[in-house]
Amino acid sequence: MTRKLIPFVAATAMLMAACAAPAAQAPAPTQAPAPTQAPAPTQAPAPTQAPAPTEAPAPTAEPATGVDAITLSKDKPTEILFWHRYSGGAQKFVEQFVEKFNAENEFGIKVTAEKIDGSYADLYSKINAAIQGGTPPNIAQAYQNQASFYRLDGNVIDLAPFITSKKYGLTQEEINDYFDFFLESDKNPQFPGEVLGWPTSRSAAVLYVNLDWLKELGAEEPPKTLAEFEELACKASDPANERYGLAWQNDISNFAALVFANGGRLLSEDATSYVFNSEAGVEALSLLKRLFENKCAVEIPSAERFGEQTRFAGQKVLFVMASSTGLPFYADAVAKAEKPFRWTYVMFPQKDPAKPVVDIYGASWSVFKSTPEKELASWLFLKAFTEPENIAGWANASGYMAVRKSAAPKAIEMVKNDERYKNFPEAAEAYARLYDMVAFGAVEAPVAGYDPVRKLMSEVVSAVAIKGEGDVKAALDKAVEEANAVLKENAPSSY
Amino acid sequence: MATASRKLPRSKQPPERKREQILAYALLAPSLLLFLAFTVFPIGFGLYISLHNWRLGPREFLGLGNYVRALTPGSEFWPSLGATLTYSLLAVPFQISIALTLAYLLFQKIRGKSLFRVVMFLPWVTSTVATAAVWARLYSPDIGLINGALRGLGLQPLRWLLEDKGVFTLIANGLGVTLPDWLRGPSLAMVAVVIYTTWVFVGYNMTLFLAGLGNIPGEMYEAAKIDGANGWQLFRHITWPLLSPTTFFVVLITVIGTLKAFNHIWVMTQGDNGTQTASILIYRQFYEFQRAGYASALAFLLSAVILLVTILQNRVAAERVNY
Repeated sequence: MTRKLIPFVAATAMLMAACAAPAAQAPAPTQAPAPTQAPAPTQAPAPTQAPAPTEAPAPTAEPATGVDAITLSKDKPTEILFWHRYSGGAQKFVEQFVEKFNAENEFGIKVTAEKIDGSYADLYSKINAAIQGGTPPNIAQAYQNQASFYRLDGNVIDLAPFITSKKYGLTQEEINDYFDFFLESDKNPQFPGEVLGWPTSRSAAVLYVNLDWLKELGAEEPPKTLAEFEELACKASDPANERYGLAWQNDISNFAALVFANGGRLLSEDATSYVFNSEAGVEALSLLKRLFENKCAVEIPSAERFGEQTRFAGQKVLFVMASSTGLPFYADAVAKAEKPFRWTYVMFPQKDPAKPVVDIYGASWSVFKSTPEKELASWLFLKAFTEPENIAGWANASGYMAVRKSAAPKAIEMVKNDERYKNFPEAAEAYARLYDMVAFGAVEAPVAGYDPVRKLMSEVVSAVAIKGEGDVKAALDKAVEEANAVLKENAPSSY
Repeated sequence: MATASRKLPRSKQPPERKREQILAYALLAPSLLLFLAFTVFPIGFGLYISLHNWRLGPREFLGLGNYVRALTPGSEFWPSLGATLTYSLLAVPFQISIALTLAYLLFQKIRGKSLFRVVMFLPWVTSTVATAAVWARLYSPDIGLINGALRGLGLQPLRWLLEDKGVFTLIANGLGVTLPDWLRGPSLAMVAVVIYTTWVFVGYNMTLFLAGLGNIPGEMYEAAKIDGANGWQLFRHITWPLLSPTTFFVVLITVIGTLKAFNHIWVMTQGDNGTQTASILIYRQFYEFQRAGYASALAFLLSAVILLVTILQNRVAAERVNY
């Protein structure tokens, strides 16, 4: 009863103080390693195959225990609720899949997919409110750090018992078919051995490049090193005509990509402290500072949606750092441009190209605590969604990478044959190369409380690099100190 | 008669009077219940939350710990309160004076005044989020129309919503003068937000002033004109005093509105560059940091500030408003 009242009460208390007369709902803060926000593609390939139902095992002499002991029956349908924020083609794909799954699964599972309007932050807020109200969904999209926050109070479940279930789980062969890095990214050092989400979508922080402009600058290929990147960005810049080398939207995943490219990391390996004030962090921030000081980069205001795409399509910027999921949106923007040009995306330039590190991110699907039957039904839905035959279509519809190795060739083929990229063969090729980056993947910080830390980092980047205020190292040290306080506040040991 | 019946002991009240009272309470009951359930209880429960370390649920009882934390010198509450008061002090005079001027002009017999009234009112009825997003685009440093106009005039473009430097500092820098930090003034981002706010709310305030002007008897003006009063004297000695109840009301709601403003500030700056008002801080603490207890304490403190300001306004206005 008490928990159910909390969101309402808290909201009222805030409203009492903080609501202007002509109130309109405010958007949530930008946060989480978000893929490029843009209208989703319009074409959505239909799911290619019905969800593969798990075959009932042959009767054994030993009584089933744990997950295996749970039974689902068509006679007694199990209803589950799935919250997501997919739009456009991805939303259509999910809805078609749900319809097919509901019609064909042998367990009597009925999934209701609800789209939550807004950003990942809005979804996160809504889930937190629903948890306090005692009515969370059964499945929801969640970044790893968000899943960790839910886990602190035991609101999301560990999927390991379901994965290893003889009756409902995956075979070793099937597990091996997932990209290891994707599976590993859902494991959290704060909760050893637990799997708090299931990877359905992953993308990488990449560098979008205007190839024609690059050629005009005398460069035959996109930069591979950070030094080349800086040189070309400054060579391209012409502030008097509002043309710049780099469009920088202060999304902290871009900064994380820079730290990784310099050989650093955001969080220590044991997840006990933030370490982005390392030498790599200093180099990353210093590079950004130089780019802004020398007017080689332009800041895209956070309030300006798709500002970096608009400038890229208008040939106002040579490079954009963004998510690989932006591929269809960039294709659309450039196709509509006054003067279409050749473009692609590449791995972000590295300090040492022989040892690249790429920021790979993406929201997984987490399962919330409910009844054993609903939890099992949720797992079976996740499992069916990531069947190889389905996941290729999903990758094409959403712009994400296929999370299974066997689905990757088909996903690549679909992109190559996609009408949207007909005039941009280099861009279609880039999608194929994306899978080469997985081997060099790194995650940002899968720990609870990472969202406010992103804001802290964003403030440092804004103050030091963009506005040129303060010392790089001192600012990073201070931010790390504050970030570590947030980490401690959200650590499982504090609960 | 009614006075006599009130003096009667309750038990001796006529049955008809009792029935009336029961009926009154019965009719009040739905509203009362809603008020208790959706106003009184939530406020009480919010207070309860504010006394705890509350994340997705209560962690520990802190007593006044959250309030002490917020009020401790050096906490983020003070700068945010400063930003809130700055915003209010900038926005209110602009909104009121422009609205009053426009209302006075549009109250005269001029051609097309109905159209002007509608045009001025439009920003207020349009979605705040949508118009704030459009204005953010106008303020864009490189592709925004405002900077485009500045460039066209041979002036330096500004960073607008991205600028945290004070406006006085910027002006002084332009003149080659260095100002001490305490003279920096509000950030340019804050001023940009205030300009937007003025654009939105002037139409609404103007409408209230127009209603107030309509209530001033025309004979007063006629009599004053016969006595030889000029336009300024008419305004100073008739319009202004007789409009004072409306002015007081407009000032009151504008001050309260600015003290709790959130939507457009969030859309335009997300609280960056000197625009983190108390409402933005509360939102961030609640939704980003998931500190429901601390955010609730901040919300109660902001409520207290608004209450205090409102009481002060009432005291000051009591002697100056002509009813």
